[in-house]
Amino acid sequence: MQVTLKVMRYDPNKAAKPSWVSYQVEAEPMDRVLDLLHKVKYQQDGTLAFRRSCGHGICGSDAMVINGQNRLACKALVKDLTKKAGDTITVEPIRGLPVEKDLVVDMEPFFEAYRAVKPYLINDEPPPDRERLQSPEDRARFDASTKCILCAACTTSCPVFWVNGSYIGPAAIVQAHRFIFDSRDRGARERFQALAASTGVWRCRTAYNCTEACPREIPVTQAIEEVKRAILYDKF
Amino acid sequence: MYRGREGQWAFFLHRLSGIAILLYLLIHVLNISAAMWGPEVSERLFAIEHTPIFRIGLVGVIAAVLYHALNGLRVILMDFTAWGVRLQRELWYGVWLLFALFFVPALIKIVPEILRTMGVI
Repeated sequence: MQVTLKVMRYDPNKAAKPSWVSYQVEAEPMDRVLDLLHKVKYQQDGTLAFRRSCGHGICGSDAMVINGQNRLACKALVKDLTKKAGDTITVEPIRGLPVEKDLVVDMEPFFEAYRAVKPYLINDEPPPDRERLQSPEDRARFDASTKCILCAACTTSCPVFWVNGSYIGPAAIVQAHRFIFDSRDRGARERFQALAASTGVWRCRTAYNCTEACPREIPVTQAIEEVKRAILYDKF
Repeated sequence: MYRGREGQWAFFLHRLSGIAILLYLLIHVLNISAAMWGPEVSERLFAIEHTPIFRIGLVGVIAAVLYHALNGLRVILMDFTAWGVRLQRELWYGVWLLFALFFVPALIKIVPEILRTMGVI
């Protein structure tokens, strides 16, 4: 069937502002939006720019605003986005990060926030002979937040992040959650420096867009609230 | 417009009602402090509050305070319980249920009075 793929395109060398461009694409119901973007790029307009790597929902390169919601282009199926032939699927770059060209945004502010929470195991105690053991229950405590692929779908769906780009964002807080609730980690207070700052967790106003947007179904807002409580209860 | 769900609108309305309450509070404080210039000034300013347009606005203030208070309770439950976040959507519908429970009687009491002073009924 034919669908219209309406893409928000932007080339800083040619125009001052982004504009919508529509493409007619032949699509199967089980095609992914990524397949449609490929069809446009390979057959209609080679100048279309977008990021993708694995194409299977693991690398986290192709988060975009598809039909008004953040999704991975490689996980969004045509049949879930259209009702009949001729319907339109809209694709925009994720919001709150500077657009470089078409659907490619500058991810640097996002990764800067990621690095600020020190996303690695911190433990200065001398390691035991073999390994730092952990019970299955302790491992389960932070299981959900290990699933993050850093696609930025959550952070760029957040209304607070749109208007205040200095907010550390849901993704960085999920990454912090992964270590704060790890029984082997001792670096919680070090991470709290970034998380309890004025640009940290307290910016979260629980709009739940992050939780709805996460392609890995991480309960993002739950993780943020747990980090908020960890910081609060640490004071007493 | 980003197509967020209940949580986004709960947040948006909470912010909007918060700003509305703040604005009203400023007007209210200014109005009361007009008593500094004596009863005539004060009375004349208070007369504005009895004009139909201002009274309709006050119905809006009641709505804003009600929503902000009830959704504020929802936010407290989400912030301090382990289950609040999981049930946030249901809690929001609960907010609207309680909102209707308080707001409809207020409307029944107030709106006919406003219409009567306007001479509509």
